[in-house]
Amino acid sequence: MDNFNISKHISGAFNAELEDLRNRVMAMGGLVEQQLADALEVMQHGDETLAEKVVNRDRKVNTLEVGIDEECTRIIAKRQPAASDLRLVLAISKAVTDLERIGDAAERIARTAAMQGDKRHRAMVMTVDAMGRLTQRMLHDVLDAFARMDVEAAMQIHQQDVRIDDAYEGVVRQLMTFMMEDPRSIPHVLDVLWAARSLERIGDRCQNICEYVIYYVKGTDVRHLDFSKVEDLLK
Amino acid sequence: MLSIDTGERATKAIDPNRLTKAQTAFEIENLGLHYGDKMALSEISMKIPKHQITAFIGPSGCGKSTLLRCLNRMNDLIDDCHITGTIRLDGDDIHDRRIDVAALRRNVGMVFQRPNPFPKSIYENVVYGLRLHGIRDRRRLDEAAEQALKAAALWDEVKDRLGDNAFGLSGGQQQRLVIARAIAIEPQVLLLDEPTSALDPISTLTIEELITELKSRYTVVIVTHNMQQAARVSDHTAFMYLGKLIEYRDTNTLFTTPRQKQTEDYITGRYG
Repeated sequence: MDNFNISKHISGAFNAELEDLRNRVMAMGGLVEQQLADALEVMQHGDETLAEKVVNRDRKVNTLEVGIDEECTRIIAKRQPAASDLRLVLAISKAVTDLERIGDAAERIARTAAMQGDKRHRAMVMTVDAMGRLTQRMLHDVLDAFARMDVEAAMQIHQQDVRIDDAYEGVVRQLMTFMMEDPRSIPHVLDVLWAARSLERIGDRCQNICEYVIYYVKGTDVRHLDFSKVEDLLK
Repeated sequence: MLSIDTGERATKAIDPNRLTKAQTAFEIENLGLHYGDKMALSEISMKIPKHQITAFIGPSGCGKSTLLRCLNRMNDLIDDCHITGTIRLDGDDIHDRRIDVAALRRNVGMVFQRPNPFPKSIYENVVYGLRLHGIRDRRRLDEAAEQALKAAALWDEVKDRLGDNAFGLSGGQQQRLVIARAIAIEPQVLLLDEPTSALDPISTLTIEELITELKSRYTVVIVTHNMQQAARVSDHTAFMYLGKLIEYRDTNTLFTTPRQKQTEDYITGRYG
């Protein structure tokens, strides 16, 4: 279901500005998705060149965030948007903050994964592999829901974060075993733990973006609410 | 997960459709108005709260000024105007035969789009209504003029030249003078028909600030073409279209999450 309703303004220039804003957010989303995919690839294969690419590309993510936020400010100042237009601009401005943080997380993962260690280190890194794939899937789905402002999809994706949290707990347990077996591994384990923590945070950020989709379409702010009650609230 | 009760964070907005009698100034029921055969208002039912600012918005010809003029029976002056339904002010039907229309208009003052001071001094403009009601006592008139000019935020600018002709004032000052003239006779309600559409942005802001201050003493109803103005000054907003009341709710909600598509299209500048 596509709820993105940005056309039909009497002002054609305003339609164009909102369309441009939407395209830029989608471009940023695509770039962040690529960053995470590459970071996970580095994790799998330890490709240092790719890791460097991820680190360098993070600047582009940052630039996009600033540019989109500037455009949101300009639209608020010049167009004084109301109702769904206002909610859209606010939702986009908040979403790009989360996307930028997801980009940071991807960069951190790439840096950590690039530190080539011994076999034991690689084994530790692999504990995060399944969690990485879950997170990647969630990010892909949430960007898709945001592109179409699909509330039903956003509600479903919001629930996926539980699986990432469970996976994170599993990873922590495994890493603790490594630490207990060999205290010398602690520095490496901590690196991997930070990467796992970053993935877990990406899940939370994806949840935030789901909430912005709900806010835009329904006009209801569902942040920090017990999600079991949200469905009733939206009826 | 720490959850926050939705009730705690929602801004407490009064639903203008659920006012108690004590909170209600006007109660309009099923109001219809025709100019000859032409329908101008149809099936309008709403309550206008006391000591609050209510704005009517909508495209040209939607009936917002007509509705405003119904509130002090200004439409009586138009030939061929036929009204159905009831309007009660504090429970009394304003169309009742026993109602004195002059007294009603004294109680429900009106300010128009263009400032319309009389060709008299500033002082005489303000006390005009009082003189009309037979007040001659100079001290009483002086006090009333000072109070009204202070309430209209004009006193400091004119106190040394009360005898000057009112036409010497700027547009914004003239409009504040007209508001002072309206409130000098201490009405209960103040109707403002696009009071800033002929003014520059700074004068507009001064008038808006004044309107906000006036609500502690008067019930204010304002018609405006400027949606941002309605959003800035009013507590409740009614959106009208083709003579009908489409949506009426607290201003915060109407401008962020309107329920009706027609309202959404109008306030976001879309064609339907």
